[in-house]
Amino acid sequence: MIEWTEQQQMIRGMMRDFIEKEIQPHIDDLEYNGMPPYDLMRKMFATFGIDQMATANFDRQIAREEAGDTPDKSNDDKTTEERPLTDAALDAVAMPMLLPMELSRVCPGLVTALGVSVGLTANAIMAKGSLAQKKRFARDLLTFEKVGAWAITEPNSGSDAFGSMKSTARRDGEGGYILNGNKTFITNGPFADTIVFICRLEDPEREQQDWKIVSFILDSGMPGLDQSAPFKKMGIGSSPTGELFLSDVKVGPDRLMGESEDGYGRSGAKSTFSAERSGVAAMALGLVERSLEMSLEYANTRVQFGQPIGNYQLVQLKLAKMEVARLNIENMIFRYIETRARGKDLTLAEASAMKLYSAQAAMEVTSEAVQIFGGAGYMRESRVEQLMRDSKILQIYAGTDEMQVVAMARDLMGRS
Amino acid sequence: MKVLVAVKRVVDYNVKVRAKADGSDVDLNNVKMAINPFCEIAVEEAVRLKEAGTATEVIAVSIGDKACQEQIRTALALGADRGIQVETESNVEPLVVAKLLKGVVDKEQPQLVILGKQSIDGDNNQTGQMLGALANMPQGTFASEVVVDGDKLNVTREVDGGLQTVSLNLPAVVTTDLRLNEPRYASLPNIMKAKKKQLDVYSPADLGVEVTSHLTQVSVEPPAERQAGIKVEDVDQLVDKLKNEAKVIS
Repeated sequence: MIEWTEQQQMIRGMMRDFIEKEIQPHIDDLEYNGMPPYDLMRKMFATFGIDQMATANFDRQIAREEAGDTPDKSNDDKTTEERPLTDAALDAVAMPMLLPMELSRVCPGLVTALGVSVGLTANAIMAKGSLAQKKRFARDLLTFEKVGAWAITEPNSGSDAFGSMKSTARRDGEGGYILNGNKTFITNGPFADTIVFICRLEDPEREQQDWKIVSFILDSGMPGLDQSAPFKKMGIGSSPTGELFLSDVKVGPDRLMGESEDGYGRSGAKSTFSAERSGVAAMALGLVERSLEMSLEYANTRVQFGQPIGNYQLVQLKLAKMEVARLNIENMIFRYIETRARGKDLTLAEASAMKLYSAQAAMEVTSEAVQIFGGAGYMRESRVEQLMRDSKILQIYAGTDEMQVVAMARDLMGRS
Repeated sequence: MKVLVAVKRVVDYNVKVRAKADGSDVDLNNVKMAINPFCEIAVEEAVRLKEAGTATEVIAVSIGDKACQEQIRTALALGADRGIQVETESNVEPLVVAKLLKGVVDKEQPQLVILGKQSIDGDNNQTGQMLGALANMPQGTFASEVVVDGDKLNVTREVDGGLQTVSLNLPAVVTTDLRLNEPRYASLPNIMKAKKKQLDVYSPADLGVEVTSHLTQVSVEPPAERQAGIKVEDVDQLVDKLKNEAKVIS
């Protein structure tokens, strides 16, 4: 794959038109005035039939599972047999990347809110939940009727998510559990209807760091569960981020992920991490494309010392470097799409390299776009400063740059 | 009722067009192209007729080089049933377009042909009217409302004095104005289905039409740049300038 197909371009074009007409007019309210993004996203889902497609996919998978098929474990399984490459297979991998790309040109925060709900939370339930849990919780998340949050980070546990995790589940002696803990930096936390809460299962026989990792599916409004107001952030204001407080939240075994204490382990959470990386690359591509377009327009029209600033080689160097970054990210994405379409997966080192490079390139390109715009770029009105602030999060979430380096090095050296 | 819709590939309305350095034409290099907005309204109207059960089949036709298949696919994604490309060079004058469309009309025998009132590149506003004359069909141009009434078509037209409603015998030609409808976005399932829909390619010879040009494009140049404005000191100066410089009052 060396370019987007005509069909993919048509989809991108339609989405771009929608975003310009329906989302861009609300951008200041979304970014700075606390407007929740969900209704706009639902409108977008309905307009493009994404909710119908999600329902149809969901019904198909559930029907397969009810017929006795095991759920799709392709996210974990790196040794899947290679398949011949077909257009349909390429589209199946490429399609979900088009929306993040297009949204990130204008509002990367929306991708974050959407990705955490439809991607992380719903997929976690689809991958690890019981059949009953999928029907009860995942379906409405996939159509975005309900908003999901995936709660792993705590005040004292970030990159070392499991090692320092303090949140606990205690067996209540009646088959249920009592949950306690604080979660922070939780995307959609303030508004989530459905929350996947990851914690340790108390085990009097062992040290706390050896307690098993389990997770529970919670509903907003359960006694003992508090959802904070949104934090003020540097960027992606359109993605509400908050804290969750759980004190003695009583749950039945029907809310334990997989309905089994062995149903959800570290590997479950880790496979979810790896799924995020291609999404970050797609966001970076949208940010870089938009920054480059705006920079080109400005370089052609802004006149200083009697000529367009694009005539100056220092500006030309910035534009050239942006194009290099755009090509690199796009090629990595094409490589990812084609690899997955063949039924294979990137190695952990490759996936991490894609995430690391894309995030850093987006930060550099958006920052240089502000530089080309000069004083105008520092003003909110220019929009390039928003893309710069928004880009920073790509280097932090879904595994920091530093953790990507560690993951790559370990994978390359053959250590786990 | 079979409906034929014409769609044209034009420079996207958001693009600021530039003339080529030699003044021979508009520079289309690396420029985003799109379906002409008035044609998109025509497609939407046809699809609505189909959804209302009035139309049985919607055929989208475009005239041009292979690239215009992209716009036919867009029309198919919006809901047209099948497409026809008449393969010509990219730039064809209105009379030739009308003759080629007449050829398609003869072949397909639609009850209704819907076109945009004009394309936003040439702004000729001729093709629909010429087609009506060539095919000997009544025409309702600049439509802001289209109602099928048995074997009649009531078309409300936007004319200078207000709105005028004409009643046409079918088959008829309609050209769309801006306020006829607001086109939808194609949904992802429909975009995917569009790929599988039939798209036939004809040459002008297949339609028995000879492509001969009657017009020559002499030159293309950008509009004169506007002079920078000035701030006047007071009303007297304003009046003086309006009288003596702009000469708009005396």
